[in-house]
Amino acid sequence: MHNILSLENVHFSYGEEDPVVLADLSLNIPTGKVTAILGPNGTGKTTMLHIMLGLLKPIHGDVRVSGKPHREYSKRELSQMIGLVPQFESIPFNFSVLEYVLLGRSPYLNPFQLPGDVDVEITENALKEAGISHLAEKPVTEISGGERQLVHISRVLTQETKILLLDEPTAHLDLENQNRILTLLKKMAAQGVTTVITTHDPNAAIFAAGHFVLMDQGDIAAEGELDHVITTENLSRIYNTPIRVEKINDHTMVVMDKMEDYG
Amino acid sequence: MSKEKFNRFLLLLGLGILVVFLASVFIGRYPSPPGMLPRTLFEDKLARQLVLNLRLPRLLVAFLLGMTLSAAGAVLQMIFRNPLVEPGFLGVSQGAAFGAAVAILWFANHPLVIELSATFFGLLALAATYFLSTRIRYGGWVLRLILSGVAVSALFSSGVGVLKYIADPLTELPEITFWLLGGLYSVTWRDLLFVLPFALIGLVVTYVMRWRVNLLSLNDDTAFSLGASLTRERLILLITIVAAAAALTSISGVISWVGLIVPHISRRIFGASAEKSIPASMLLGGGFTMIADDLARTLLAGEIPLGILTSAIGAGLFIYLMISMSIKVRRDA
Repeated sequence: MHNILSLENVHFSYGEEDPVVLADLSLNIPTGKVTAILGPNGTGKTTMLHIMLGLLKPIHGDVRVSGKPHREYSKRELSQMIGLVPQFESIPFNFSVLEYVLLGRSPYLNPFQLPGDVDVEITENALKEAGISHLAEKPVTEISGGERQLVHISRVLTQETKILLLDEPTAHLDLENQNRILTLLKKMAAQGVTTVITTHDPNAAIFAAGHFVLMDQGDIAAEGELDHVITTENLSRIYNTPIRVEKINDHTMVVMDKMEDYG
Repeated sequence: MSKEKFNRFLLLLGLGILVVFLASVFIGRYPSPPGMLPRTLFEDKLARQLVLNLRLPRLLVAFLLGMTLSAAGAVLQMIFRNPLVEPGFLGVSQGAAFGAAVAILWFANHPLVIELSATFFGLLALAATYFLSTRIRYGGWVLRLILSGVAVSALFSSGVGVLKYIADPLTELPEITFWLLGGLYSVTWRDLLFVLPFALIGLVVTYVMRWRVNLLSLNDDTAFSLGASLTRERLILLITIVAAAAALTSISGVISWVGLIVPHISRRIFGASAEKSIPASMLLGGGFTMIADDLARTLLAGEIPLGILTSAIGAGLFIYLMISMSIKVRRDA
């Protein structure tokens, strides 16, 4: 049985002269779970998502989807299998939420086709799933940050892919909205959607994920279950700052300590 | 706006344009302003010839011109994610102006030669803008095209300046100047036939890809993840609609502001989705340009250059829309 998504010896840099971003990296993403990718700034998390998506091509190595390398799929087939919520997405025009989320149906329509009633129905269901049906007619530029992230996620739900990639889905959100979004992602994973998120917040990762990947300078420093990856030693070393991992009532918590240099 | 409501609105708009078209046939300075009565057509042979040979082709070209410029503006604004863009932006208008000036100066001053030369240089400017943008080493796709367009426009515009300087001030210069001001005073059926294929291809491609334009206005990574072949699809749209705008510019001269202001008004009435705002832009632009051209040929005893009128009306509307806060330029866009 193949993993639904795997990287094999993926090597990547942005140009011949540029530093290596990912160095011969291999990784299996477990099917039907939330995988959290953690690591310091500039360690290649976003680049890795773009490579998984096919937007960037590795210098050598393969990305495999259900065992087959990317190049054996057409662009359209890939877009029916992998969805992306990027970290920053600006929507320059005042689409209504429904009009914007409906764009998630593009992989199923040719460039000359208009969305039909079925597409609208799928879109309305995605809004319901994300709990934002009441926003359908609102302009996307006039909703809050948390609502906006739910709108982006509704768009990938409409895409009906087996794999979801989300780049920092909870950045800049308050706790209630973080909870809503992570809970929604867990629910999707329980329905069999393989989900990959990057995050800077280990506690958010612990909340949502069942599989953990710790990256450091373009390489994988640790990978696997919670207790194996999220440890005091691993985090303190990778982030180069004193970090403690504590258990409170069977619940793992990551706490940041004061740096000694600053007394 | 619901589909049914939109379709009703569009039908009304279409009927309105038909009324404007029919009225425009009779509006004019012959036999005396503001125009003739329908029965004059049957009684006066000169009136009949005037309508058949001058007014009809002129009205149809005005309608096509407005449709094309507005569709091009709507497409460019969405693809470049910038609500302040119009066709002239990619160097097309200045390229076409240069082509027309070259033809007026050196190629026997034949209308067809002027048109071919203007279309050719308009497209050449588009190609130059595109290739220059692929050579710029920094910035995203949008920024590079915009920078290239500004540079190519400036080059052709300085070229026009040189040609004006060396032109014969009594014969050639006035013709170049009048061409630059823009107008449809000399349009014939032959001109209409010349632009029709360009216009139809551009308008049909834009119309059938209208929903896709929404997708192409998103961030590159998002649009890619949704299956768009970004470069190919954007180029197909840009080349077909800008070629149409270049062909029409070759017979009308530089007509500015229509492509900028009409898509704004359309989005304001029909919402941002290109599925509705593009067809509505086409109709609104066609109607607007027909009315502007009616004014251009009837207001004064002499013809007012159409480009001056569209600029005055367009800039006025733009100022009004800006003050009423309906144009939002997002900082993060």
